[in-house]
Amino acid sequence: MIADLLTILKKDLTLDLRRAENFIAMLFFSVIILLVFSFSLPPDEEAHQSLAPGVYWVTFLMSGMLGLSKNFQLEKEMGCMEALLIAPISRGAIFMGKMLGTLVFLLLMQMILIPVFSLLFYSPAMGFFFELLGLSAVTALGFASLGTLLSGLTTDVRFKEILLPILLFPLLVPLLLAAVQIMSGIFAGQGFQAELDWLKLLVGFDLIFLIAAYLTFDFVMEL
Amino acid sequence: MGFSRILGLATALALAVTFYLVFVWAPLEQAMGFVQKIMYIHVPSVLVCYAAFFIAFLASIGYLWKRKEGYDVAAYAASEVGVIFCGLTLVTGAIWGRPTWNTYWTWDARLTTTLILFLIFVGYLLLRRFVEYSEQQARFAAIIAIIGFMDIPLIHQAVTWWRTLHQPSTMFSRKGQMIDDPLKWMLYLSMVAFYLLFAYLLTKRIQMERAERELHRMLANAE
Repeated sequence: MIADLLTILKKDLTLDLRRAENFIAMLFFSVIILLVFSFSLPPDEEAHQSLAPGVYWVTFLMSGMLGLSKNFQLEKEMGCMEALLIAPISRGAIFMGKMLGTLVFLLLMQMILIPVFSLLFYSPAMGFFFELLGLSAVTALGFASLGTLLSGLTTDVRFKEILLPILLFPLLVPLLLAAVQIMSGIFAGQGFQAELDWLKLLVGFDLIFLIAAYLTFDFVMEL
Repeated sequence: MGFSRILGLATALALAVTFYLVFVWAPLEQAMGFVQKIMYIHVPSVLVCYAAFFIAFLASIGYLWKRKEGYDVAAYAASEVGVIFCGLTLVTGAIWGRPTWNTYWTWDARLTTTLILFLIFVGYLLLRRFVEYSEQQARFAAIIAIIGFMDIPLIHQAVTWWRTLHQPSTMFSRKGQMIDDPLKWMLYLSMVAFYLLFAYLLTKRIQMERAERELHRMLANAE
């Protein structure tokens, strides 16, 4: 199971790194969203402090969506899906491989997004680089779990570009609220200590939906 | 006389009696006055909506487990009726909120949870529309219903920490007399009427869905 999972993860990451256009597109999309926010919100630094967590996570959600929708698209275009399903590996391994691929992809993006965010929107953010990266990892896990399940589910569906966010965003409300609150605590200089309840909620969300998505993925991928 | 016809007559009778008593017999509430009478629609609607989504959740689990089409039909019908009552709850709540809280909408925990619940199940119905009618549609929809239902406690916890304004539940509060007796009995009666209405709509919708699928099958066979 672990070996199968790693094979799929390796395949996805290799494909992503060789065809860097996905990553570059996602990165520039997030820069453009940050620009749009900078233009449309009041320019003073004080306002930016209270707006920064919201702006960051909305940027994360929007650009993360791009990363999700390509998840199964590649398999579809090349006709690999059937081969993957016929292969003697469990659906759980496919799910975990895909999910971890998305997670790594998202974390790589965050590593670049945090400096860009601090450059364009809220300069003190860079001082909390590692806290933010840690928070991003926890948030991205929940996002990647539900996102992988739902992007697998909507691969065949008409209008999937619109249906995926409609299904995904309401489900992600607790994740978004928790991430925003914890980030405000980090920006206030209190690290993770300030919002421990939110952190518990966030970790609980991750665990519940990691397990639920892992279990229900079998039903998505039936031949 | 069939079961659904008896149910329909009983519903019509119960609704007529309820509406007569609401306007003629039930005393005016002291603080809020006439507008409080909207409670007799608002509270039963939300309870029916919870019941409907719970049925959809159970039927979805049943479908993934047993793969009987009946479960899928029940889940579809229940969530469709549930969305209508959820919408009714939001609309009557807004009408009630305007004179009592001086605003149609506020980002209170319960209002927000109900709205997100509404959005999740609207997404569920959209998914049903976008996926071709098949056994695949049933599987996908069941997953959304299960995941969505599991998310509700987390959403509720998150938005409760976020903000709270709604009066605590009048019906299930343990703090003793929060509601006068005549109003309470009136509310119980309207609840019975609404549950009857729900049962009637549900059986009708299930019959309709069955007939529709039968028709689909016959047309497919004829081709």
